[in-house]
Amino acid sequence: MKLVRGLLSAAWLALISGFSCEALADLEDGKLKVFVSNYPLAYFAERIGGHRVAVSLPVPAGEDPAFWRPDPEAISRMQKADLIALNGADYEKWLNRVSLPRLKQVDTSAGFKAAYIRIENAVTHSHGPGGEHSHDGIAFTTWLDLAQAGKQAEALALGVIRKRPELKAVFLENLSGLQADLKVLDDELLKLGEAKKNQPLLGSHPVYQYLARRYGLNLKSVHWEPNEMPPAAEWVALDETLIRHPARTMIWEAQPSPEIAARLKEKGVSSAVLDPCAQRPEQGDFLSVMQANIANLESTP
Amino acid sequence: MRNDFYLAWRYLGFHKTRTLIIVTCLSLIAILPVALHFLLNEGNRQMTTRAAATPLLIGARGSALDLTLNALFFGAVSPSITLVEADKVTATGWADALPIYSRLRVLGQPLVGVTLDYFDYRGLRVAQGQMLAMLGECVLGAAAAEALKLKPGDSLPTPPESLFDLAGNYPLKLRVAGVLARTHTPDDQAIFIDLQTAWVIDGIGHGHAEQKNLPERSAGPFGFAEINRAADGKLPTYTEITADNIDSFHFHGDPGGFPISAVIALPHDRKSATLLRGRYVDQGEKIQIVQPQENLRGLLDNIFRVGALFDGLLAVVGGVTSLALGLVFALSLRLRQGEIRTNTLLGCGRLMVARLLAAELVLLLLVSGGLCLVLLEAIRRYAGDIVRYALIS
Ligand SMILES: [Zn+2]
Repeated sequence: MKLVRGLLSAAWLALISGFSCEALADLEDGKLKVFVSNYPLAYFAERIGGHRVAVSLPVPAGEDPAFWRPDPEAISRMQKADLIALNGADYEKWLNRVSLPRLKQVDTSAGFKAAYIRIENAVTHSHGPGGEHSHDGIAFTTWLDLAQAGKQAEALALGVIRKRPELKAVFLENLSGLQADLKVLDDELLKLGEAKKNQPLLGSHPVYQYLARRYGLNLKSVHWEPNEMPPAAEWVALDETLIRHPARTMIWEAQPSPEIAARLKEKGVSSAVLDPCAQRPEQGDFLSVMQANIANLESTP
Repeated sequence: MRNDFYLAWRYLGFHKTRTLIIVTCLSLIAILPVALHFLLNEGNRQMTTRAAATPLLIGARGSALDLTLNALFFGAVSPSITLVEADKVTATGWADALPIYSRLRVLGQPLVGVTLDYFDYRGLRVAQGQMLAMLGECVLGAAAAEALKLKPGDSLPTPPESLFDLAGNYPLKLRVAGVLARTHTPDDQAIFIDLQTAWVIDGIGHGHAEQKNLPERSAGPFGFAEINRAADGKLPTYTEITADNIDSFHFHGDPGGFPISAVIALPHDRKSATLLRGRYVDQGEKIQIVQPQENLRGLLDNIFRVGALFDGLLAVVGGVTSLALGLVFALSLRLRQGEIRTNTLLGCGRLMVARLLAAELVLLLLVSGGLCLVLLEAIRRYAGDIVRYALIS
């Protein structure tokens, strides 16, 4: 009843002030409400849906969506969405602890489930009906393989189309534009991978699994944070790794602190930023961040 | 005329017991068939509307009626299938799938695991409190909240004795998030939980304390329950899901293999429905698809047949009772010979005596009729609840 009254008064307002149809649509909030769990999906949804969708990334700026947990308020807002686009591949660790409508969810990576990379050395423990088992994880930075990113965009587009079938043609056209852009990045990275074939690389954090697989990078990862000086033991381990894996570059999710970069430099390892772009960048968008990543990688020794 | 009724009234009042017996007999004879039909029609209405709103059901092969009663009225427990059946339905693109898991009772009310889509589909709105949001929460149907005397913020333990204790199940303390608005459907009786919470109750999902910083074990019923599995791994398991321990909750294995009791399939159109049904024709072994409406039609036909039989019986009983009452009346006339003679001596004509007797009869009928109306109104008002109660238990 409230809604009807709201709509009526909105219509009346539009009528008396001579609003255009466009403005009326906004007032009616006719946009498809899409919730996404990370920035790449937000970017895809914005590209595919254009002004016809209202995309929300509920993760506060500066927080890594992979470690975010929704509070009841965020859950309640997501419950009212038209579509909830998920990265899948175990990205949303909170998903099985909250109640969200299943019919509104799109698991964008479910289509290439078989290609998930399992993380070894997971902790093993024993309890419950299954006896001994390990909670082995799945690598979740799926979109850094840009061919996979294209598939995720497609799955998202199909979800949007399911909710607004009448706009199918528009969405598909937007999707092919987006996929063409992703293909350009993918091709560039393939070329780069070819050029750096077998050249040892270091990753600062285990998030580059799909990148390394797709583009043939010879990558070994430590588990460091850009702004936390690793303890002495880590440096010792790094020296040992460098003997077998003489890398001259370490790739970082963000610019490492000058002290860390300098200490690496002493060992002949330069630092390059390869931002997975899981959170909305302060400047530019997904494409420009990926372009910058490629440039950073190209300029490494 | 008024005097006739006054005298008749005083007479009836004087012979209270006799009057009461006659009134009860008359009322019962009149009311039984009508009440029976009220209830039958109400049952028919409820079952048909519910079935009509549930186009297709998918469940384990076996009694189609049990499957229907379980999924629609949370009644008969049907053997479980797994969540993968819901995914299969969605994957066809022909229908939306609503998994439902109804296996347990808490204090007589059905505990029903659903996904949030179920509430949208049945048009269930929260009247007090909040919708389900976190693991371990429940929302109550209006009648369930009344019966259990619970409100949002309260907690509701699932009794361990009602659980299959195969996997070392333990009572889980559910938090009441909200109470639903009354819908006059079986949903009013239910305690709804998220499917994931249902699996926690089943022991498929659980949270456990890190071994290094074990909190003190409390002696209360909701401290830690110890799961006795392999001798090497005894991790104390939480029995209440709180903001502090929710992050330790996790599930074992692939959700596709987790149990549910049925899938409500909502085909996008008639053609999709036919295609979907075709899928299960050859499935032979384990899974069946049923149309609740067809299924219940058979049951309802039988119920109405029994109803007709009852009508026949009641007609006979009614006839016999009327005869008996006639006899009682005739006999009472004879008993009242002395009284009638007194009346005549007092100057009443034969007509006057007949009028007095007639007034008595009219009063008796009026009182019985009034009683009938009151009872019928009560039955009409509570028919819905009576039928729902009968359907669910
Ligand atoms: Zn576990």
